[in-house]
Amino acid sequence: MTIRLKLLLAASVIALGIAQPTSAVFAQTLKVALGDEPLSFDPIATSDNGSIWTQLLIFDTLIRPDKAGTGLEPGLAASWEVSPDGLTLTFTLRDAKFSDGTAVTPEDVVFSLKRAGVDEKSQWKRFFNPITAFKSEGNKVILTLEQPFTPAFNNLALFAAAILPEKLVTEQGDAFFEHPVGSGPFMLSGWTRGSKVELTKNPHYWQEGKPAVETVELDIVAEPTARVLRLEAGEADVILDPPLNQIADLSSKDGITVGSAIPYRSDFVLLNNTRPPFDNVDVRQALNYAVDKDQLVKGVLFDKGKVAATAMPVMAYADESLKPYPYDPAKAKELLAKAGLADGFSTKLLVDSGNAAHRNVAVALQAMLGQVGVKAEIQMIEGGTMWTTTKAGEYDMALSFATSDTVDPDQLIGFLAVNPERANAYHTQWQNTHLNDLYAKERATVNGPERGAMFKEMVEVFKEGAPMVFLYHPASNWANLNKVKGFEILPTSNFRLEDVTISE
Amino acid sequence: MFQGIVNRILMVIPVIFGVTILSFLLLQVMPGDPAEMAMGTRASPEEIEVIRVQWGLDQPLWQQYALFVRDCLTGSFGTSLFHKLPVSQLILERLPYTLGLTLYSTVIALIIALPFAIVAALSRGRAIDVAIRQVFVLMLALPPFWLSFVFIIFFALNLGLFPTGGVGNGFLENIHRLFLPALVVGLSTAALIQQSLRGTLIETMGADFIDTARAKGLTATQVFRRHILRNSLISTISVIGVRISWVIGGTVVVEKIFSVPGLGSLLIDAILTRDFPVIRGLTVFFALLVVMVNLVTDIAYAMADPRVRLR
Repeated sequence: MTIRLKLLLAASVIALGIAQPTSAVFAQTLKVALGDEPLSFDPIATSDNGSIWTQLLIFDTLIRPDKAGTGLEPGLAASWEVSPDGLTLTFTLRDAKFSDGTAVTPEDVVFSLKRAGVDEKSQWKRFFNPITAFKSEGNKVILTLEQPFTPAFNNLALFAAAILPEKLVTEQGDAFFEHPVGSGPFMLSGWTRGSKVELTKNPHYWQEGKPAVETVELDIVAEPTARVLRLEAGEADVILDPPLNQIADLSSKDGITVGSAIPYRSDFVLLNNTRPPFDNVDVRQALNYAVDKDQLVKGVLFDKGKVAATAMPVMAYADESLKPYPYDPAKAKELLAKAGLADGFSTKLLVDSGNAAHRNVAVALQAMLGQVGVKAEIQMIEGGTMWTTTKAGEYDMALSFATSDTVDPDQLIGFLAVNPERANAYHTQWQNTHLNDLYAKERATVNGPERGAMFKEMVEVFKEGAPMVFLYHPASNWANLNKVKGFEILPTSNFRLEDVTISE
Repeated sequence: MFQGIVNRILMVIPVIFGVTILSFLLLQVMPGDPAEMAMGTRASPEEIEVIRVQWGLDQPLWQQYALFVRDCLTGSFGTSLFHKLPVSQLILERLPYTLGLTLYSTVIALIIALPFAIVAALSRGRAIDVAIRQVFVLMLALPPFWLSFVFIIFFALNLGLFPTGGVGNGFLENIHRLFLPALVVGLSTAALIQQSLRGTLIETMGADFIDTARAKGLTATQVFRRHILRNSLISTISVIGVRISWVIGGTVVVEKIFSVPGLGSLLIDAILTRDFPVIRGLTVFFALLVVMVNLVTDIAYAMADPRVRLR
């Protein structure tokens, strides 16, 4: 017996001894606990939040969204010029270095943008491929398009257009992304997959005196309540996405501050426009009137969000005065009666079983729709099967959401409202030819009020057509110890850490 | 004995072969496509098709299966669609944590279960036996999810004895850091061991050879240690074997709450994103582990009990 115990002990000694990632302890370490695990640091082959957010701390882009999320600000490009016809984009690079001390050259930029826009392996080609020629000249990079395609410029602020050192990527191939080198504020110094990412200040960072913290530890803590406990135990300085029902409690605690920001995201109910009665615009509008969105935001989101006028986030060119469908059950009943459904109807609502907020929203929706005679049966399905199911049109109603990768509304309006484009108005099959025309025109119009007016009109048409029940824009929430200053989540859902300070 | 072990190992081959076919076919009927899930909102159907081609999802089934078998034989178990790494590397990075947690929890379970099993057996039917049984049944019934948080709040937050989660560097730090998750897993293991060992102890105490031992003049302590306990522990070996097979892949909840990057969470994350190569590779790897644990259990059993022969 004792021998066996010793054997077991010895075996566990060996097993645990192997688990030995490297790390160093510095005085100024910012510990951020988040639920999204980074999977890969190759910008053209990633699509998950954890990877995108981490890449944005390591790599730079030519231009980047400003903190307010309404415009673009200089990144590696100190300045830029778009020709009046929108066909030539000229970027003047600033003096910047990669974290290994080598200079960022226009050739690196051309290499990286080609990789994103032309390379077979790029999953993000469509965001850049209208750019047909890439040229470096002195400290300038000149991109040319054959046809005007305005989103291409804005898309250069996307993480997939991160600037990489050509020499290292060519030499090392895929192995480069295990030890990436970028010109961003931080460099990767340790990575225990599934557990934590360690970042160290880039000594060559182009923003003088930044970042303020020496090292950053991104700790992967999948369970939201466990993140809260980490913060309370002082083992994390910042946590992302605390459970909604614990935020009020957290904010009342000494030494802890909570914050929230509304990113480019909206939640809505997809309506299968090919299935009666959802083929009738009166019915679709009736459902929009039947839902008390204020109540959803208060009751389900604990006030961490705002009511949505449409499924388009409030972003560049948005008409902020556009009013949501008011909560008006009488109007809803009237519209249903007009559609010959005075007695209501029965339907089914698909819900992602893994999304806690959506489960609660579904129950509330069921009650609200019941008030106007619409009997919705809730069907829980695993999140991974949702897309396949709605794509195949095998649904009546489906609770879903969309986020924007870019600051340009083009990506989302195309996805949500244009049919066919990429997803037949996000699987609703709703179609409006006027909107389709505007979309084609918007893409060929240079940034400015004219393009803005087109977006405003598209969103109005989208609202009238009501292919979905528009619900809300949920906030992204975080909590931090009071000694941490300057942390915030940006409208693009990511966070910058170069301005964060810790006061001891 | 040697021949027996060789036979057992040979029997593993068809088992693993069956697992490859099953895990492959089950994934085919599982709805959800990794390329659509990753890029559906961002790319056109044609572009998604390009990604599917790159990932080899467009190939005929037999070809995909052949590649999968090749990857298993070469030991890479395939390449993850999202981590862009061989599945074997992902497994090796996480295996120490899973094995560490498994063994650590088993040690804790034995330390807890042995004394209570002996006390319960010796005082069979009395109040103390009943009380011990109640407590251990309760331990088995408590959901790990709940127990984990209670332990974190009490031991980590209030008493500050342990960190709330995460893994550290080196053996000693991990012994400290992994104590609470190991305790949560260990308590249910302890309950299983205690129940079965108590039963076997009582059974053995009534056996004829115990009377013989007493008759030849051994003291009560000697009889208990040399004859009763030793013979009863044999049954515990198989309980532990079965339990270890389960713990290796079945501690996802504990792993997630304590942020331990183990194999269980790797599998769940892969299922959620439909990272087919990881799901398939891990399934085969788990099958290999379970078969090995069973084999070791059988061998240990045969060594401990001369009446058992491996054939």
